[in-house]
Amino acid sequence: MWRQVRPYLEATAGVAAITAGLAALASRLPVANLSLLYLPWVVWLGARRGWGPAAAASALAFIAYDLAVVPPVGSFAVGDLGQVPALIALLVAGLATGQLGAAARAARAEAEARERESHDLYEVATAALRVPEVATALDLVRRRVEALPTVGSAAFCAAEGDHLQTVAGQDLSPDLRRQARWAWRRQTPLGLALDGERLRLLRQAGATEQVGILPLAAGVAVVRFQPPELSESDLRLLAALLGLGGLLLDRRRAALEAERARALAASDRLKAAVLSSFSHELKSPIASLRAGLTGLLAPGARLGPGQRDLVRTLDLEAAHLDRLVGDVLALARLEAGESVRAEPVAVPELVGAVLHRLAPELGEARIEVHVPPDLPPAMADELQLDRLLGNLLRNAIQWCTPGGTVTVGGRARADRLVVWVENDGPPISAEDQEHIFDTFWTRRQGGTGLGLAIARRIAEAHGGELRAYNLRRGPRFTVSLPLATPVAP
Amino acid sequence: MSGRVMVVDDEPEMQRALRVGLGYHDFQVRTAASGEEALRQVPGWRPDVVLLDLGLPGLDGFEVLRRLRQRDDRAAVIVVSVMPDERDKVRALDLGADDYVVKPFGMDELVARIRAVLRRQAAVAHGEPVVRCGQLLVDLGRRRVTVAGREVHLTPTEYELLRLLALNAGRPLTHRFLLARIWGEHALGDTYNTRYIVAQIRRKLGDDPTHPRFILTEPGVGYRLQA
Repeated sequence: MWRQVRPYLEATAGVAAITAGLAALASRLPVANLSLLYLPWVVWLGARRGWGPAAAASALAFIAYDLAVVPPVGSFAVGDLGQVPALIALLVAGLATGQLGAAARAARAEAEARERESHDLYEVATAALRVPEVATALDLVRRRVEALPTVGSAAFCAAEGDHLQTVAGQDLSPDLRRQARWAWRRQTPLGLALDGERLRLLRQAGATEQVGILPLAAGVAVVRFQPPELSESDLRLLAALLGLGGLLLDRRRAALEAERARALAASDRLKAAVLSSFSHELKSPIASLRAGLTGLLAPGARLGPGQRDLVRTLDLEAAHLDRLVGDVLALARLEAGESVRAEPVAVPELVGAVLHRLAPELGEARIEVHVPPDLPPAMADELQLDRLLGNLLRNAIQWCTPGGTVTVGGRARADRLVVWVENDGPPISAEDQEHIFDTFWTRRQGGTGLGLAIARRIAEAHGGELRAYNLRRGPRFTVSLPLATPVAP
Repeated sequence: MSGRVMVVDDEPEMQRALRVGLGYHDFQVRTAASGEEALRQVPGWRPDVVLLDLGLPGLDGFEVLRRLRQRDDRAAVIVVSVMPDERDKVRALDLGADDYVVKPFGMDELVARIRAVLRRQAAVAHGEPVVRCGQLLVDLGRRRVTVAGREVHLTPTEYELLRLLALNAGRPLTHRFLLARIWGEHALGDTYNTRYIVAQIRRKLGDDPTHPRFILTEPGVGYRLQA
């Protein structure tokens, strides 16, 4: 009460003192417009005490000047009409300067508030960013939010998938957690509104405590507050602090992702190293075996026909073992998630390379190729596609009738490249259809039961598919792969 | 055709198999169990071909290859290795290997590769100006290319690529090697250029990519001219 009345008493006292002085001065020194001497006082009041005291002082000065200085003294009557404009000017100028002073005061208060805000934010931000652990930094921000007037408590929760984990502040109640998840999923604030940089708290009539939930880049901020309303500057500070919390949550997410990527890469390296060492351990003895056995087939070794036959059979066994090991390792690499290094691949030349490699295995089979040389390139890992085509062709060669024909064809259809391999062997029974792509399932003597399983996995790893059909002339395997957009040189 | 072959492999069984097997084909064979030993023996014995395993203890195969090539040694190097990764093949070829054979292999295949390398060495030594590959004739002196006597007109880039393949007939050339030789080091990285040029050459030579007679594709590596 006293604080509110005091400026008015000051204004009154000041006006009284100035009037007394002016009255004494006017009796000795008749000067027009002595009333101007009130103005500095009115301006001072406006700047220091606000517009109310300044306006009151201005009105009082008007009355007191008329009563005590303008002749006839002691009466409201104005003897000289020329004094009337001066009196009105005094009133208007008083009110106007009071207003100016008050505006200057408000501006200064605003500037001070902004400076305080920036300073606070700077302190929190530098402290938070200096802390290496994101959770500690978030806790610093949370404590600053809770220091704002009317704010009860605050919490920052990080989103991990659909789950929210409280990183700073107290755990949310189940009810609040549900609301927070809702806000996060829809990226919609609850209990507050954000227009650009401006934050507004939405109040429910009669509520004693309310909750505001703001979704951030990598989580949500939850703030409980009680009426009355926060000041504009505190709201700005709150918005900035929540923004800072958002940055920290984002930093936490990036750090976690980097950590996960490192762990994944380490596990991939480990898998690759284990498979590579396995490959070496398993293949080295087979290599010595095959080199030794085939070495004995040279005429210089002087083996008899029966012995040569035995050695050749043993080498075939060794070669079979080699293929089995190769297939098992290839399957292991695919199952370990071997990456697909996709690039535009010219399928006609790859078919040519595979057929050239398989020439020694052809036996009596004939190959017919219906792959146009200008087929657009597929988007594929060349080595994996090489293995896929090799497996399909080897399967077809082994199933076709003696002296029969294996056909390879290809064409582009919409955004897919379709390649098929067919043979003139017996059709695949309905029962077998269900198993031919299973691992270690084979109907063939000496087959590994892996060739088609690997082929299908490679097709699927490329976002394509591999299917088997029975045509009238024999079984057909069709693989579809994504087309690459060719880049003209 | 015979010659001196040095086998560099740390597996005693493989050493013995190759010593015996290659011996039956009239090659003189010496073995080394490590890269260091091979580097010591090569200058004195002067082998024609070094069969180099990549997974050696101590100095690995790549390093041995690099040092052999630094010495400007005339020995051809065939990399013989259990290689699960095609990148190792490319790396060995880019370091100057003449060819590679993947373990396990049959002796016939290995002997064929060794003979091809020896033939190439002989051709280079005589500076033969005409390279023949079936009906394809590349006359390096007159810059003339014919297929079954019919002259084929190639653009300068196409001729340069075919010339490189012909000079190294039978040897796989990597995309990287071809790109760097034709377009310079700045062109590295995009294999589409070599693929495109090879497709053009094949078309002009009448070489069906699905039944190649002249230029063979080495998946994941590059190209080789049928020797």
